[in-house]
Amino acid sequence: MGRYIINRLVRWIPSVFILLLLVYALVFFGAGDPIKLIFLQAPGDVAYDPARVDAIREAAGLNRPFLLQFWDYILNVAQGNFGNSLVSGRSVNAMISAAVPVTLKIGLTAIVLVSLLGILLGVIAALNQNKWLDNLIVGFALVIWGIPVFVAGPLITVFLVLVLDFDVPYGWGGLFSPKVIVPLLVIGLNPMALIIRQARAGVLEVLSEDYVRTARAKGIPNYQVVMRHIMRPVLTPVVSQIGLLVIATLNNSILIEKVFGLPGLGRMTETAIKSSDYPVILAIVLIFSVVVMASNLLVDISYPLLDPRAAAKKTEDE
Amino acid sequence: MTDQALLLPQEEKQFSLAKDAFIRLVANRLAVVGMVLVVFLFFVAIFGPYLTPYDFLSQDLLARNKPPSWEHWFGTDDLGRDILSRVIYGSRTAVIVGFSTVSFSLVIGLFLGALGGYFGGKVDAFIVWLIDITMSIPSLLLVIVINVSLKPPLVNWMDAQFVATGNEFYRNTIWVDFVLVFGSLALIKWPKAARIIRGQILSIRNKNYVVAAEALGVPTSKIVRRYVIPNAIGPIIVYISAALGEAMVLESSFSFLGVGVRPPIPSWGNMISDGLRIWQLYPHVLAAPAAVLAVVTIAFSFLGDGLNDALNPRQWK
Amino acid sequence: MAKLLEVNNLHTRFKVRNGYLHAVNGVSFSLDKGEMLGVVGESGCGKSVSMMSLIRLLPPAAQITEGEVLLDGEDITHASVSRVNAIRGSKVGMIFQDPMTSLNPFMKIGDQLIEGIVYHKKITKADALQQAAKYLKMVGISNAEHRLNEYPHQLSGGMRQRVMIAMALLNEPSLVIADEPTTALDVTIQAQIVELVKSLREKLNMSIIWITHDLSLLAGMVDRIMVMYGGYVVEEAVLDDIYKSPLHPYTIGLLKSIPSLKTEAGSRLPSIPGAPPNLFSQPTGCPFAPRCTYRVDRCQSEVPALTAVPGETGERPHRVACWVDMRGKGVKQ
Repeated sequence: MGRYIINRLVRWIPSVFILLLLVYALVFFGAGDPIKLIFLQAPGDVAYDPARVDAIREAAGLNRPFLLQFWDYILNVAQGNFGNSLVSGRSVNAMISAAVPVTLKIGLTAIVLVSLLGILLGVIAALNQNKWLDNLIVGFALVIWGIPVFVAGPLITVFLVLVLDFDVPYGWGGLFSPKVIVPLLVIGLNPMALIIRQARAGVLEVLSEDYVRTARAKGIPNYQVVMRHIMRPVLTPVVSQIGLLVIATLNNSILIEKVFGLPGLGRMTETAIKSSDYPVILAIVLIFSVVVMASNLLVDISYPLLDPRAAAKKTEDE
Repeated sequence: MTDQALLLPQEEKQFSLAKDAFIRLVANRLAVVGMVLVVFLFFVAIFGPYLTPYDFLSQDLLARNKPPSWEHWFGTDDLGRDILSRVIYGSRTAVIVGFSTVSFSLVIGLFLGALGGYFGGKVDAFIVWLIDITMSIPSLLLVIVINVSLKPPLVNWMDAQFVATGNEFYRNTIWVDFVLVFGSLALIKWPKAARIIRGQILSIRNKNYVVAAEALGVPTSKIVRRYVIPNAIGPIIVYISAALGEAMVLESSFSFLGVGVRPPIPSWGNMISDGLRIWQLYPHVLAAPAAVLAVVTIAFSFLGDGLNDALNPRQWK
Repeated sequence: MAKLLEVNNLHTRFKVRNGYLHAVNGVSFSLDKGEMLGVVGESGCGKSVSMMSLIRLLPPAAQITEGEVLLDGEDITHASVSRVNAIRGSKVGMIFQDPMTSLNPFMKIGDQLIEGIVYHKKITKADALQQAAKYLKMVGISNAEHRLNEYPHQLSGGMRQRVMIAMALLNEPSLVIADEPTTALDVTIQAQIVELVKSLREKLNMSIIWITHDLSLLAGMVDRIMVMYGGYVVEEAVLDDIYKSPLHPYTIGLLKSIPSLKTEAGSRLPSIPGAPPNLFSQPTGCPFAPRCTYRVDRCQSEVPALTAVPGETGERPHRVACWVDMRGKGVKQ
């Protein structure tokens, strides 16, 4: 198992390196001069003087060749230093350590809730295949699957506030404050459709397996057949969706945090994009890839725990 | 044993596959609703600008933020522009981006997928690696970075071309937005198409009837036409429908974040973003584009699901 | 001998997209205590579905529309679900065709073996496992205690089928239904399993229904054979009667298509022309008529009833559904 994880990491590091190189190159050759950007973004009367800009650039080492600068950046990142924001001048490390917990808490909670609820709904739908309850759940999944988070969020808010005269709170008060309910609901909505569909399809597949018939032939009651013979095989395909779930949750947090005033990574991303704050964007790209990678790794590691056949195969491979 | 029993005997009337699929699609009520809405969306996107009562840019500062009325069905926005006209024009934005994205990603995906499936070996391993990487990076973020960083140099280049040639075409930088949006979207959307075609080729290769055909000396081009294309066409149609919907949503997402299609060109995304600033006072400015986008995405979702059921008969239950 | 099972006019159909598939069309037969019955027919003739209908082990699309099944005089067709479960757990054991897919790959052998008896007999898990080990030894699995902790993928196909047999026997059933239990196995393993079932039957004195498409397999094993075609029982008699003087053209065809030592090298093995019938529409005449070489006019207009004639060997009557009298080669009235 240990060798397997190392193997995965060894294959992952070059991918992230290439990704960073790509993003760095895009920024370096595309976006233009960060010093110029600072000047342009500085308030009011700071005169744009090419000579001065050049001097600053020279001093900051920005006139050096691309690869040298990239190498410098990588070395810094390897030491855990992401540099300073171009806009605020604050250390990116500090910004990130303030923002990560918010997104992490909401995201993880959303993923756990969505998985549990999604599996439950998917299983209920499959066991009532083609009856009204199944149609209702499948229809619900189709509806929430399509709707983007930045549509669902505002629409739900408008509905709650203006129609039901509910107070939808704004801002962050910790994971256990009631302020978190609506954002949690909205962030989890379309990822849940993914889980419902996967769980339903999984149960339908298992239901037609011969071993379910064997179980029924033993004369054990239906709930025992479901709990023992159907739930466990269904978990494997559902768990395989967790990588997608994480990506969807991260995407949703970029889009929605501003709407609910959550000071997380998503809002940081949005602000950084609007102001072309490259050190921040680079850091976020890196964090996001690490998170996605880690979740994929987690999924791969959990397969053998869920499926004894996969465990056997893995031992043969090693 | 029932497999055999289900086989229709020769004299039984046989439907063609396409007709059979269509019958199954039409039998699905939600899919029909989705299909009607999607066709309506295309109609509006193509002919809408000729049908709108107002120009989407014309401002009426005396009629700002008016709630829906007979003159302005969806009301007006904070600059007194007719929201219905803007939503209709937004559908054109969405459809243009949707179709361009899907065509580009199909071309890239089919090419790379066929390459991997046909050559196998190291070529295939490389393409699989590329697919895995592309699918596991935070795509929305990467596309945003591409958009943000490539825009200034492209605009500068257009300006330079305009100065050099005097050609009016280079003055309109709106196209830069569009090209960047669907270019970058195609870059993250191709892996699914590649997977479909690669998977089809690989599975077909191992089918006994293809091995038999090859052994009998049937040329590759004929095997592709007889077996690969007919088998891949269903999943590809499902892919196109899903990808169209997703591309439209992503276009709106970018515009919502302020990196995609920028005002004054209306996109549902930037209209929602505008509406968010004043929704407490004028909810209709937010609700109209949000509701339209919601309906469109649901329509694609219904249609895609129906197509999937109709075209992938293996999933019959 | 006392009757264990009595089936009267059983009909089962499947709901499919454009109507119904009539899989079982009025099957009637009975089974004595300790008797072994072979059910023969080609794929899709309704043999499996009719036997699964006995204990209502059917997919949701299937429904039993007519008839009754009496096990020890108790009507199963109209019993409650929990009663059917109780019967499955105490009186009937099932052995399925494919041992590779019939065991749950996610559960240990032991847990799968005991879940039935733990539920029905209310015994502790430890006792149940001891019982399971005993039965595993009985079906010829060595190192049984150790096997209980293994997963199905760690066992060979023949071993898995032995596990399936042990599972069927664990609740000490009076009736075992074996649905083509050797079809998915190698020929050598097939013979082992057949021998195993024969010896277990003597030891445990139970009734067995053995479903197969291979008529030759049943020689020397079963007491009686029932031949099915298109959802109908077409012939039923004791083993020797079927082998030595078959009365239905379909059975005759089946027997002819078995290669024997007398078959000349290089000669063509006879086969039955045509394909199995279409089960979507119910036939107006004999279901076998389109493929039958002895066909007369009446065969296409009227379904022949299963009628008893005196058996050639022993007491039991020979039942056959055919308008042609194959003994005298004349048409029946």
